[in-house]
Amino acid sequence: MRRWRYDAGVNMLRDRRRLSLLLLVGLLLALVGVWVWRLYLPDVVLGPQQTVQTTNPKVGIHTRLTDEVEEWKIKRTLEMVREMGAPWSVEYFPWAYIEEAPGRYNWVHADQVVAHANRQGLTLIARLGFVPAWARPKDTTPLYLDEERFADFGRFAATFAERYRGKVSYVILWNEPNLALEWGYAAPDAAKYTALLRTAYPLIKAAAPEVHVLAGALAPTLAPPGSEFGVNDLVFLQAMYDAGAAAYFDILAIHAYGWHFEPDSPPDPAVVNFRRSELLRDIMVRNGDEATPAIITEGGWNDHPRWTRAVRPAQRIAYTLRAYDIALQEWPWLDALCLWVFRFPWDQNSYQDYFTFVRTDFEPKPIYTEVQRYTHELTR
Amino acid sequence: MASGAGIAWLLFADQSVSLLPFLRRDVTWQAVQQRGVWRVGLDPSFPPFELLDATGAPVGYDVALAQALAETWGVRAEIVAVGFDSLPDTLKAGRIDSIVSAYPYDERLTQDFLFSTPYFDAGLRIAVPVSSTIRTLSELTGQRVGVEWGSVGDMVGRRLQREGAEINLSPFETPDELIAALLEDRSLDAIFIDNVSLRQAQAAGQPLAAIDAPLESIPYVIVMPRRAAELQNRVETSLQLLKTRGDLANLENQWFGHQANKEGAQ
Repeated sequence: MRRWRYDAGVNMLRDRRRLSLLLLVGLLLALVGVWVWRLYLPDVVLGPQQTVQTTNPKVGIHTRLTDEVEEWKIKRTLEMVREMGAPWSVEYFPWAYIEEAPGRYNWVHADQVVAHANRQGLTLIARLGFVPAWARPKDTTPLYLDEERFADFGRFAATFAERYRGKVSYVILWNEPNLALEWGYAAPDAAKYTALLRTAYPLIKAAAPEVHVLAGALAPTLAPPGSEFGVNDLVFLQAMYDAGAAAYFDILAIHAYGWHFEPDSPPDPAVVNFRRSELLRDIMVRNGDEATPAIITEGGWNDHPRWTRAVRPAQRIAYTLRAYDIALQEWPWLDALCLWVFRFPWDQNSYQDYFTFVRTDFEPKPIYTEVQRYTHELTR
Repeated sequence: MASGAGIAWLLFADQSVSLLPFLRRDVTWQAVQQRGVWRVGLDPSFPPFELLDATGAPVGYDVALAQALAETWGVRAEIVAVGFDSLPDTLKAGRIDSIVSAYPYDERLTQDFLFSTPYFDAGLRIAVPVSSTIRTLSELTGQRVGVEWGSVGDMVGRRLQREGAEINLSPFETPDELIAALLEDRSLDAIFIDNVSLRQAQAAGQPLAAIDAPLESIPYVIVMPRRAAELQNRVETSLQLLKTRGDLANLENQWFGHQANKEGAQ
């Protein structure tokens, strides 16, 4: 009896060991399976090809996916842009994030953004800038670029255009070049910016002749002559033409912020408002460039409760819808109106959050719902 | 190698766990004492917290708060006007000693800065007439709730409806219309309103009461350099002192009432 108990105990122990071994092997196999699955299957499927339904083909928005690391959030953002009825989307592709070392590229994130934008049926406008450390002197900011490095930037822009041929047909070269901040605190200079265009434009055209090159994207500013912070945008654009810029861009990018003025507030060189865009257009025409269209790549209104440049939320909705109407009905020279900004990857904890249409958690703000309603009205 | 890392840990570890706090010097606090001046950065475009008066001088709740805090240390607050977006970099660069600028707590910045406890919450509140018996969000079922069209209150109201709350939302174009509908027309039972607008209305004598917890919280804090532990302690102590003495409540009444009166006069 005692012997039986001993044998039974030994057998049970063996069974437990076998069971443990089996469980361990099973667990290892499961882990390997998950690893293989993660390696070969995409986390987020692109989904079926979509098209944007809208009554206003000029409606656009600036997304902010630069630092959005989760692919499902990239997809959800662009889905919501489509669902809002906006066929146009501007997105920033930082040179420093992509060309990590000269000639060594990391396209993973850019590929995701382009693929999802294409699948949602959006026309993507790619803003290029942000200088890698290897292309600028030590202790400079990522916006600093010496003239001897313009060719490096041009080669990057051309490589970008070539990689995304048929997928990205619009690129913006640099951002707000009339501000010192946007040159790493070097003095803004229209001739220098024109030199950048003169370098990059032919390289892009050689790589992808059909790609539209946007220039300008000037910050609307009333900076007085000699200001260390920036140059008046109207003055800067004329200086660009004087330097021969007309031959080196296909579309003028415009930034059109309304601050606390309504969209029908008349244009005035002494005021920053939405119709300041018309003053920039006048400069284009005066310089014989009326055949060149424009696209507003940033703009709009802010509805922070107390920021002095903000309007009430109800005004923001009304002004935004009116602005989209102006773009469609009054400005034949404008191809699209892309407002700032659809959503941030995280809260900015400042008035900047009140430029958004959707919160970081994808909660649609009323302005999103109202624009969606506007673009889906059957009869207008 | 290991001993070097250990020494570095002892010197630079978080103040709460450092074994050698006496080796850590708060150079910010020392500089404030030597100068007799506390350099405070703020963006004067945010009434009633900070704005410019007719002479171009910064005034407002935060300016008065900074002056009151500095007074408890026997120094003077020097206001430095800085754009909101540039405030953190300006602090990091040592051009100012602290930020007192209706600055919301941001957990992403805790590796770079120290924060005070909140001195004001600008979040979203439920407000009812003081005579109302409604005391909680759940009691709003079947009630008429007003929101400012397009505001955060509007967004939260729509979300609550989507989540099944049976509230009847009514949009109004301005906070004034919203409050009038609640108090004068009696066409509403409650409103969703940001706490600053609510405090301004209360300071102007409107019989409004906030109920339940904030629907959304936006706590304003004072921001200090990462290694300014002594300054942080001083700020905390003085904030408590001002609260206990009723000075914070007086500042709110002074500046929220001031702004409400100014807006009412326009």
